[in-house]
Amino acid sequence: MKRLIIYISLALFPTMPVLALAEENLVVVANTGGQELTLTREQVRNLFMGASLGYDFRPLALPPRNRTRSLFNTQVIGLTEARIQSYWSQMKFTGRMNPPREFNNKDELLSFIESHEGTVTYLPADVVIPSGLTIVYSTD
Amino acid sequence: MPPLHLLKRVCRLLLTAFRLKSGMRYFVSFLLLFNALSVKAISLTDNLDVSGFARVIGGYMDGAESQDFGGYENSISLGQESLLAIQPTYSLTDSLSITGQLLAHSSENRDSGAEWMYLSYRPDSAWHFRAGKLRMPFFSYSDSLDVGYSYPWISAPNQVYRNYLFSTFKGASGSYNYTGLNYSLNLEAYYGYYDGDILIAGKRVDVDGKLTDLTGVVLNLSSHNFGLRLSYHYAYNESIIYSLLSLQQALEQAGFSDSARSVDSKGDVNFFEAALTYDTLSSFYKAEWVHTTTEFQAAPELTGYYFTAGYIIGDWTLRATYAASAYSETHAEDEVQAFLDSGIIPPGSPQYAQLSELADGYYQLFQSLPDGSLDTYTLGARWDFDLNMALKLDVSYLEETAPRSGFFATPSTGFYTEENVSDRYSATLYQLGWEWIF
Repeated sequence: MKRLIIYISLALFPTMPVLALAEENLVVVANTGGQELTLTREQVRNLFMGASLGYDFRPLALPPRNRTRSLFNTQVIGLTEARIQSYWSQMKFTGRMNPPREFNNKDELLSFIESHEGTVTYLPADVVIPSGLTIVYSTD
Repeated sequence: MPPLHLLKRVCRLLLTAFRLKSGMRYFVSFLLLFNALSVKAISLTDNLDVSGFARVIGGYMDGAESQDFGGYENSISLGQESLLAIQPTYSLTDSLSITGQLLAHSSENRDSGAEWMYLSYRPDSAWHFRAGKLRMPFFSYSDSLDVGYSYPWISAPNQVYRNYLFSTFKGASGSYNYTGLNYSLNLEAYYGYYDGDILIAGKRVDVDGKLTDLTGVVLNLSSHNFGLRLSYHYAYNESIIYSLLSLQQALEQAGFSDSARSVDSKGDVNFFEAALTYDTLSSFYKAEWVHTTTEFQAAPELTGYYFTAGYIIGDWTLRATYAASAYSETHAEDEVQAFLDSGIIPPGSPQYAQLSELADGYYQLFQSLPDGSLDTYTLGARWDFDLNMALKLDVSYLEETAPRSGFFATPSTGFYTEENVSDRYSATLYQLGWEWIF
């Protein structure tokens, strides 16, 4: 019976594990060229939704269905993946903005960000951050 | 073959497919869609990026026999809102690009072709300028109405989104965005003109549409879970309504200049809008209100609004929407009747008969204007079954709360006829849709 309930709830709520994601922490790191900087959650959210922070920051992202991206959607953006995709479809097809460039995994992302000043991304809190990058926000 | 050539050929093929008559059109379109399913947004070269969207919408209306609502009747129809669009963007430099959006639309009331075509200049991350053919950013979803994936419903509330008379303009726009510690704002302004078809309740009417001095400002403000959109749009209307031309001339010749002026559509048109949203991970709420005023005495004011609430469970979204619209009262000038009543011309004379015929035509027109109201209750579901694809189901109950809401079939003149002038319609509309972006 217990197993049946689990099956049914998995069928009904395929993204249920999202709730468990709230437990893990994230950091947002930027290549600021050595400059110290902290951002609020709202600033990070706006930056990844396409707004300008006044600095020429370029947000970079992990692909949909990536665990860290799901964590970021839940904890910082506050919208489901489908709603984020809907938002970007509106922005893109009305010619306003394009979504952040996506990288396949965090290693590719880290090597790109290390060599490009002004880039920003999110990573799991337990990743060793290279010395050239600055933590600008933490969900901790 | 160079990528641009290839792209042109593909677009031409798609447009041809949509122009084919009858069921064949859908068959070909479906084949093309099916073929393209494996395609994601592609970069044909470093500088050329191609993306697009498609929707297949089927609908059936139960009730209001012999009428149609946005093209839906009491038979299953796929040809009202189904479409396919391709958007190529060519980057000239890091900050300068050209974008087009080529649309193949299944509705006979919409032209297929370039919906957008503009040059874009982005000097930094805060400023953005565009010039060319753009879509009117009237209300929250006005410029993305073709992109069904971008909004929750199958058809965005008619009371707000089907009432605007034109959807594109030629001109330029500039926008600025800024983020504070706890908010972000975007301010957009544009200027341009429109020359082309006029739609009333989504139907092409016999009007030579021309609007000049098109000006507008749009403010978007968001903070935490709240979003606010305020906008104001202005245009000077120079459109010619052919069905009113002879009446206007006859009134003018008879010396009734106030009456002649009252059927002249020329003048200022103003659009006001306010929208408020509240979003969480598992729910959303949105209200939008629009108000239009004109100097055209036969179409003075129109108000439309909706409330919608959605609940998200996994890949499913369930939603309820209430929408309503109302026109202000129209007033005919009384000078013709007053003149007839004055006895200056003896009743029974040929002159009197001629004049009372003119009066009849004039007063009948004011009786046949769309000045009623419509309420809509919609329950719907959206299933995001795959990344960038969704299925939607909507059931709407439509009820005219006063006759002549302007939404159930109006003839090509835009005015009601003697047969349906006092009818009050209600119906249930069932819609099923498939949305896709690539």
